[in-house]
Parts: sequence; C-alpha cells; structure tokens
Amino acid sequence: MLLGACSGPQSALDPAGREASEVALLFWVMLVGAAIIWLVVIGAAMFGGKWQKQPLSERAGLRIVLYGGAVIPTIVLAALLVFGLRLMPMLRAGEPELRITMSGEQYWWRVTYAAPDGSKVESANELRLPAGRAAEITLDSVDVIHSFWIPSLAGKMDMIPGRTNRLVLHPERTGIYRGVCAEFCGRSHAFMAFPVVVMEPAAFEAWLAREAAPALSKADNGAFLANGCGGCHTVRGTQATGSIGPDLTHFADRQSIGAGILPNTPDNRRRFIAETETLKPGVRMPSFGALPPAELGAIAAYLGSLE
Amino acid sequence: MLFRSETPNLWTLLAPPTVWALHFLFCYVAGAIICAKAPEALDELRLAIAAATILALVFIVVAGMQAHRHWGFGSDMPPHDTPTDEDQQHFLGLATMLLCALSAVAVIFGAMPALFIAECMR
Amino acid sequence: MTPREETDTERGRREEAELRRVWAYSSGWRYAANVNNQIVGLWYTCTAFVFFLFAGVLALIMRMQLAVPNNDLVSAGTYNQLYTLHGTMMMFLFAVPIFEAVAILVLPQMLAARDLPFPRLSAFGFWCFLIGGVFVGGSIFFDAAPDSGWFMYPPLATDTTQTGIGADIWLLGLSFIEVASIAAAVELIVGVLKCRPPGMRINLMPLYCWYVLVVGGMILFAFPPLIAGDILFEMQRLFDWPFFDVARGGDPVLWQHLFWIFGHPEVYIIFLPSIALLAMIVPTFARRPILGYGWIVLAAVGTGFLSFGLWAHHMFTIGLPALSIGFFSAASEAVAIPTGVQIFVFVATLLAGRVIFAIPMLFATGALAIFVFGGLTGVMVALAPFDWQAHDSYFVVAHLHYTLIGGMFFPLVAGVHYFYPFIIGRMLSDRLGRWSFWLMFCGFNIAFLPMHITGLRGMPRRVFTYPEGLGWDGLNLVSTAGAFTMAAGIGLLVFDVLRPGKPRAPQNPWNAGTLEWVAGDPSEPWGIRSVPPVSSRYPLWDQKNLMRDIGAGRFFLPGAPEGKRETLITDVLDATPQQVLRVPGDSFLPLLAAGFIGGSFIASTFHWWIAAIVSGVIGIGVIMVWLWTATAVIPSRPSKDAGMGVTLPLYASGSASVGWWAMFITMVGDGTAFLSLIFAYFYYWTIQNAFPPAGMAPPDGPLMLAGSAATLLAWLAVLGARRANSAGYPDMVRIALTASTLLALAGGALLLLAPWRAGLHPTAHVYPAIVWVVAIWTALHLAVGMLMLGYCLAGSLAGRLSREHDIDLRNVVLYWHFAALTMATTLVVLALAPLAT
Repeated sequence: MLLGACSGPQSALDPAGREASEVALLFWVMLVGAAIIWLVVIGAAMFGGKWQKQPLSERAGLRIVLYGGAVIPTIVLAALLVFGLRLMPMLRAGEPELRITMSGEQYWWRVTYAAPDGSKVESANELRLPAGRAAEITLDSVDVIHSFWIPSLAGKMDMIPGRTNRLVLHPERTGIYRGVCAEFCGRSHAFMAFPVVVMEPAAFEAWLAREAAPALSKADNGAFLANGCGGCHTVRGTQATGSIGPDLTHFADRQSIGAGILPNTPDNRRRFIAETETLKPGVRMPSFGALPPAELGAIAAYLGSLE
Repeated sequence: MLFRSETPNLWTLLAPPTVWALHFLFCYVAGAIICAKAPEALDELRLAIAAATILALVFIVVAGMQAHRHWGFGSDMPPHDTPTDEDQQHFLGLATMLLCALSAVAVIFGAMPALFIAECMR
Repeated sequence: MTPREETDTERGRREEAELRRVWAYSSGWRYAANVNNQIVGLWYTCTAFVFFLFAGVLALIMRMQLAVPNNDLVSAGTYNQLYTLHGTMMMFLFAVPIFEAVAILVLPQMLAARDLPFPRLSAFGFWCFLIGGVFVGGSIFFDAAPDSGWFMYPPLATDTTQTGIGADIWLLGLSFIEVASIAAAVELIVGVLKCRPPGMRINLMPLYCWYVLVVGGMILFAFPPLIAGDILFEMQRLFDWPFFDVARGGDPVLWQHLFWIFGHPEVYIIFLPSIALLAMIVPTFARRPILGYGWIVLAAVGTGFLSFGLWAHHMFTIGLPALSIGFFSAASEAVAIPTGVQIFVFVATLLAGRVIFAIPMLFATGALAIFVFGGLTGVMVALAPFDWQAHDSYFVVAHLHYTLIGGMFFPLVAGVHYFYPFIIGRMLSDRLGRWSFWLMFCGFNIAFLPMHITGLRGMPRRVFTYPEGLGWDGLNLVSTAGAFTMAAGIGLLVFDVLRPGKPRAPQNPWNAGTLEWVAGDPSEPWGIRSVPPVSSRYPLWDQKNLMRDIGAGRFFLPGAPEGKRETLITDVLDATPQQVLRVPGDSFLPLLAAGFIGGSFIASTFHWWIAAIVSGVIGIGVIMVWLWTATAVIPSRPSKDAGMGVTLPLYASGSASVGWWAMFITMVGDGTAFLSLIFAYFYYWTIQNAFPPAGMAPPDGPLMLAGSAATLLAWLAVLGARRANSAGYPDMVRIALTASTLLALAGGALLLLAPWRAGLHPTAHVYPAIVWVVAIWTALHLAVGMLMLGYCLAGSLAGRLSREHDIDLRNVVLYWHFAALTMATTLVVLALAPLAT
C-alpha cells in the first residue's frame, strides 16, 4: 500500500537505477529516524505543556538541554554527515561504457549518442539506455539554465550555459521512465520532459545502429519540405538539414512528441503541427494551423513514416 | 565601554564563531580556486586544510580556557541573573564557552569533507 | 506669597500633562507625519500583514490551478507571475519587514525606552517599504509582475525579450526596500545596545533583545551581497554590461552565489525573530524564567554565524566540485545543532514550569510541531545525494513551507494573540483563537504534508500544470483542499482582529515578567511613565511594586519640563546611564524623502532618466534638510537632571553617541556590499584563464596611483580638520575641509579617468564591466564624502560645529576611514592584482 503510493514512471521512491536506489534507501532510513526524533521532541513538549504534574528541577532541565539539544544531535549529525560524504563520490563514479550529450534548449532536449565507432548520432527528446551499463551524460545548455532529472534513475544536474556538467547513470531495470526539466526555464517549463527507455543491452545496440542510419521513409515529403520544416529540422538522408529544432530522422520510433507532452499518435502529430503555440506557449516553432487540412495530414503522415 | 581588559565582552563572545567563519572561508575559497585552476594540487590543499583546522582548534581551545576562567571555573551554575559584575562576567564566560564548543564542532564538521573526498570531481 | 511646595499628586499630574503634550500623536491631516514607534510600528505591522494576505490570495489561485491535471484556469504566463510574486512578497514584503515592524513596535517598550534612537529613520524605512511594496505587488494588476521566480536566475531573468519590465520592477523595487531594511537594522542594533534602562546589564536583557541584536547583525552582512548582485543585474538589463552573459566572459552562476549568500541567512533572519517571540511567550505561560538563558544566546549567535556557511546548499546541482559541496553540506548539518538547542530550551522550560495552556501556547506548540518537522527534512536535504533528488521538486516546496510557517508564521500568530492586549488594549477571543488554530494547523498539514510525496514522485516546482497519470493528481487535490482550510483559519484570525466589541484588556493580562507589560493603556503616547532601574530578567515578577512606582513617576525622566522628546542612553554592557537623548518629533520629511528617492527608483524602471535624476536629487535635498534641522541639535544647556538624583549630559559625540554607532554599523554594511563586488571580481578571475583577458589592459596605473594619493591626502585633511577642531582653530578646520573636498574631487576624477584611459568599454567583456563597477562604486563614495564635508563646512560657518559640539565632524571622520579603505582596496584590486597574475 505504502509502496503503491510511491510508484510511478517518475518517482524517486520507485528506483530503477543505482543512485536512485541508494538515495531511496537513505530516505527511508532518515524518515524513520526523523519520525522518532519528532515524536520524542513533540511528545516532551506536549507532556510538559499539558499533562505533567511535578515540574522538573533547574538542574534536570539543563541536563535535557545539554544532552537533548546539543550532545545527541551532534553525534547523530556527525554520523549522517560522514555517511553522506562517503556516499557522494561513490554514487557518480564508475567507468562509463556509453557517452551521451544532452543539451537543453527552450523547451526541448538535443541528444547526441557517441556510437561505438566514434561517430555521433543525433536524436532528440528521448533518451535510451542499456540496463546494467554505466552511461556518462554530458550536460550543457544553449540558452537559459535547465536541469536534467530522471527521478527513477538518479538525482538531478543543472544544464548551465557556458558550463559542461557530467552525470553518470547506472540504470538497472528495463522499462519506460520519465525525465523532466527541473529548473524553471521560461513559459513552457512545464512542457519540457522526455521519455527514458531502459533496454536490454543487445536491444539497445541494435536500436543505436538503426538510429545511426539515415531515414528510411518511402512516404512523400513534399509538404514537409515545401512548408520550410527542413529549415529547422533535420531528417538525415533528405534535404531537411536544419539544426534549430529537434532532429526528426527516426521520429516515428519515439514515444512522445513535443518533448514528452503528448503520446506519439497520428492525431497528436497533426495537432502539434497545427496548435504548436497553444500546446507549448513560447516555443520557437510557429503554429501551422493555417495550412490546408490535406497538407497538415501529409506532413503528419510523413512524420509517422519516419521509422 | 565595549573593550575591557581582563573581562569578557561582546567581542570575546564573537571570537570563537569568527574563527569558524575564517576557517570555513579558507576551506571554501582555497578549495574553489584549487579545483578551478590547479586540481592536481588537491593533496597539498587537503594538508593545508588539516593545518588550518588544527590552528583554528587551538585558537578555540585557548578562547575556551579563557572563557572557562571568566565563568569562574564552574564555581557558579546558571542562571547568572543577578545584577552584579560577577554574574555578568559568569554569564558571558558561559555563553562564550558554549560558543567555543559549537565552533569547535563546526570546524571539525567543516574539515570532514577534506578527509573523505579526494577528488575535485563535479 | 511664597511658592507652595508641590504635592506628589500635583507633580504627577503636571508631569503627565507635559509628557502627553510632548509625545502626542499627530492626527488629522498631519497623521502621516507621525514618527513615534508605537504608530510607525503599527503601520508597519498592518502593511506587512496586508501584503501577506495579498500573497496568500495569489497562492490560493495557484492551488486552484494545480487542483487537477491539465487545468487551464490561468495561463502559463499568469501562473509564472503568480508564483514569482507569491515568493517575492512573502519573503521581502512580509517575512523580513514583519520582524522590523514587530521590533519597532515592542522593542522600546521592552527596554522601557520612550522611542528608538532614530524615530524618523524608522518612519523613513516604513515609507520606503510601503512605496516599494505597492510598486512591486501592484505590478500584477498590469500583467507586469516579475515572472522568473523569486530568485531570478539569469540568463532567463536578464533576457529583456523573454522577461519584460517585471524583472526591473523586482530589482529596483526590492533594492529600495533592502535599503530600508538595512536602515531598520541599524536602528534596532543601536536601540538594543544603547537604549536599555539603567541596570539592565547584558546578562539581564530580555531574550527578544538578543535575537534582535543577532538578526540586525545578520541583515548587515546578508543584504549587501544582494544589493551588489542587484547592481550587476540591473547594469546588465539596463546597459548591457555582460556580468551574466557567457559569450562575453560573464557567468550566470555568480548571481546564484550572491543571491544565496543573502538568501540563506535570510531564512534565519526570518526565523530567529519569530523564535524570539516564543522565547518571550514560553516563560510567561510556563510561569518561570527561561531555563538555559545562556544556551539561547549560544543558539542565537551560533545560528547567526553558521547560517552564512550554507548558501551553496541551494546550488548542489549546479556541478560544484564535490569538495565544495562537502563544505556546505557540513555547515548545513552543523547549523542544526544550535537550532536543536533552541528547541530543547523551550521543551525544558515547559517541563520545568507549571504551564497554562492559553491560545498563544497553542500556537507555540503548533509552531514547534511544524518547525521540528521542517528542520528534520532540512537535515535530509543538507545531504547532497538526497538533495540531488529533492532539489527543485515539491519536496523542497514542502520543506521550506514547514520551516517558514512553523518557524515564522505560527510563532507570529502566537505573538499576535500574546501582544494584542498591550498594543490595542483589548483581548482576542479564546474560542475564535482555538477554531482558527485548528483550521490553520490541520489545513497546513493537509496542504503541505502530501507535497513531500508529490515531490519525491517527481513533480518539479514551478510548473503551471502537469499531466495526469503520474500519481500526482490526488495528492495535488488534497493539497488544494488543505490550502483553503488554512485560509479559512487565517480569515477567522483577521475577523477576530478587526471585529469591534472585544473586551478591554487588564494591565498585564498574562502576568508576564518583562517591561513591555507596564504599558497599561495604549492610548497614552509616552510609552512608559518613568524609566525604572532594572535588576532582574523579569522585573515585573521580581521587583516589588515596580508597576506602581513607574506609574507614579518615581524613576528616571518622569516628565518633560523643557517640552522635548527624551529617552535614556546607557552603556553597552553594564547599562549605566550615560546621556539623555533628545529625539526629533513628528515630521513629513521622512515621507517626502522616501517619496522622492522611491520616485527615482520607479522612474529608472521605466527608463525615464531625467525624472529619475531630478527626483533623486530632490530626495537627497530633503534628507539634507532633515539632517540639518533635526540631528545633532545643540542643547541650550549641557546637562539635565534625569531624575533619581542623576545628572546626565544632553550631548554626546564620538563613540559615546548613538549617531557614531549608527554610522559605524551602516559602514559595516556598506563595506560588505563593496566586498561582494570584490568577490565578483575575483570570482571572474577564478573562472577565466586570463584576467584581464588577452587584448585588454588594466586601468591606467599612474592615474590610479595619483587618484589614490589624492584620496589619501583628502583623508589626512579630514583627520587634520578634526584635530584643528579639538584644538579650537575654526579657520584651520574650514581650510582643511575645503582642501579635503577638492582632493576628494581630484581623487574621484582620476579614478574614473584610469579605466577610460585604458580604453575599457564596459559592454565589450565582463572584465571592463566589473572594473567600471568597482571604480564607480568608489567614486560615488568619494562624492558622498564630499557632500558630508560640505555639510560640515556649512555647519562650521553656521556656528553648529565647535570644540564641544563636533558630532557631525566625528561621524564624517568615521565615514572617511571607510572611504579611504575602500579606495585602498580598489587600488590593490584594480591596479595591483593584474600585475600579480
């Protein structure tokens, strides 16, 4: 029941990675300790305030202040501090077997995988990781401060313009989780999320090889190119080579659209193109709601074919 | 007056936490500069922090001994609430002594990271 | 006919009439001219409460928006303004000012002083607060409120296309209020140190005074870094100086440092004064002196210091080196120790007393229950690994509300119930108090307890809506219900405070032991009938017949025969009487000064430069008139009979005067702001490979040296003026003052010429920008120094400056010590530091 209340694709208390597990355990231990301390302190105050018949002597009171207020807290806090300090280097150590760069942009994520052959594979708004392998995520930002947080796997790390931060993730359990921007970054801060797919290592390698390949779509990309989508978006293997917006090469493979805000369904693809500003206020992509329905449909269909 | 020889005053009261503040500042500033400019010198930094910690603790112990004397070596227990020079001095002595203890604990806490963390890693 | 001997009754009547006339409140159209602490304190408290209610309504709108997923009650833009303004107003317009407000209201009474040493400064502070507060808070009605969070992180908040005028309103409006806060801190520190009743030695001060002293000191060191940060921030927004622009060498993280060096101590600046209220309430209802007085002093001073070593725990996720995180984590754990002591002193006092569980105690216990919980989650987030998860999530939102509402709001409500009889003269209702307590307490916990879970289940803060199905829906709905329950409790409190027909309060209704309860009838404006000698921590419990004798005027300053407002000044440690201080009376000048200075800030927000300058100059002029007419007034005779057979001087200068202390304390704050700018300089030096960067030269060395030399000579000339004045050579004084003014002018001009000659353009890179800011800061201080010298010169010519009456000159000398130090530091940093690297 208690665990049920803590589960979820974005819950730090339902861990699927090494750091998150350690921290969840730390939390439960601290919670029990805190509950005991709270009961003792408030119990003593209530007892003194309401029920006690015989007042304590000055000497006994001073002893309570000395031990309860100073000595015991010092010991408890020292122990906690030592534990926390030892935990810190441990959590984020480890030789990474995979390197990924995530870059925060208002309000989406540019994801670049370093393929085994050393080449770079660009993707967007979705992170895939092999279970049981350490992955080093390099974090930066091109505009304002964002923060990269996948509660199920680990704590957060900020993405700050002009700096490069580094986070090592150790996913342990396969599944689909949710990451989110944790630092307020403007109007659509609430709409900056991404699915995290933790896969079996073999499946991940196969996926990465597919992701590295150019687009395979046979669908007509005329409407897509005619409306200038290629000015901002890249679909590798076609004339669309823009780099302002998210890469769309294998778009149909992704779980969500609009940086984690809608499930990737035909209807939603169409809606996002038509109502961009409504769905995501302040976003740089204009709404294409004025396009004839047929063209909208053609663009959406083309996106749906990018496997 | 605020300054007086041989008796405690508000400045002697503030001395031990000021020692903590200087120790803390030293650890933070030195740590930040070394990690930004010369991470390879981290071991020397840890030694320097150890030295600063011992120095700070010596200061605090000396201040504590002086405060203990001002307190009357424990001859008079609190509350120190009579309007006499003696009680005023005992009170300031006791408060300073307690602050010495807190400052010492805080200095030791402040040095612990240098004991356990051996890299500048971000 | 021989004059008949006056009877005691007649003497009493005459003295009361004198006091009543001298201290009478201004009314009618002159109401706004009041400066007495009882009126200003009440205005201050009420205004802060109104801002609290306003910010609370904003929170309720936010809770309605978050009640269900994918809600569209308000837009993202509006929500961002709501939460920014909620945080900003609660912190800057309620939590900190309410400390100043309550202290101005009760501190003089607690010290049996007739007023604080600088009543007009209190009034000025209040008007600044009101003007700045209305300006910031009102912006939301024009859809122009700040919208990037109450800590305003650049580069989002410095981006003038993404954040509109709201950010400027935040920066300038709050800077203006921060200045008022520092003014209040100066006032309160001097008040505690110098305005105690005779015999109230340092070991007999009410605990409230210890907290006020500590918090005043903290404000002095905490607010200036934010002011320095505000200057850099606003220079970037208004003039494109690239302090936080990465492309030109800046760094957004510097703002985070400066903001949190202020921001974390601020939490304790908010918390300690409220705990101070508990330290007054608990002994009263436990019917015994506080147990562990010395421990409380340890706790207050210890917390005051340690709270300055925690700031980076708000920045654990920015990628600090693990070692740095460790230092801040350690200090964050250490600060829990004095806080624990504080709590256990209360617990032990309750255990050792025979407690009456009245309404203030109910709120005090509730405060303890909530605050201890918040403190424990605080210990959790102080551990970096846990903070990496909890940071910027609803867990932290819950944590901070537990600490602030438990550590600040509940004690404050306890204080409202406790002090209401002495301020208004009536009793609040027990029944309504109980109802409002349970509504608030339950509502609060229903609203905020679930947020811990919401946060750990991944909900980040500052999102205007959230998708369904992540496990946040039910939790948020419960939180919203709780928020409205709590609001109902607060509504009940407001109703009780405002409703007419409450029963009159007897004198000292709670049978408390401290001096503020001497005040029987709050409609008497004099504060205390006569100032008693004190020989106990709880004089009303321990000193026999004290209340009666005070009322009969048996002690110090029983009347006001010369028709002047007077209060007693005593020694810092022993509280032996030193001086009878004459404080200025009611005036519109503080209001006018605040109006024009505020006008200057507001005009700057809208880039109306000419209006800003004109308004600022008039404001400075008004302050000059105020100083000239009401400070350092030379009394008609050197001393007077203060009562009880003691004759005290009416004039004091140098370190014996309150003015000198105020100057000293102000300059400590000023020096802290300057050091924050120097910190910024070296911060840039740490993150850059070369500073100054390649292709840029440091400010012209010879010019810097010449400017420093001129400033040094100006300082020596000021010292010479003081020496000549003590020796009684007025002509020499005037020559020295004139020479000093000219030298200061030369020094400032040369200093500004130095970076200009080096061809440093402040918009090109962060190096020239920070050089210019430091140079301008120092030059402005020289300009202010010149203004002061001119003031002394005018005083000398007008016969206000003489051998005995030299307070202005002594204070100006003190200022110049700091100014010379500022110049020397500027020389070392701008001219010498580049040579070393």
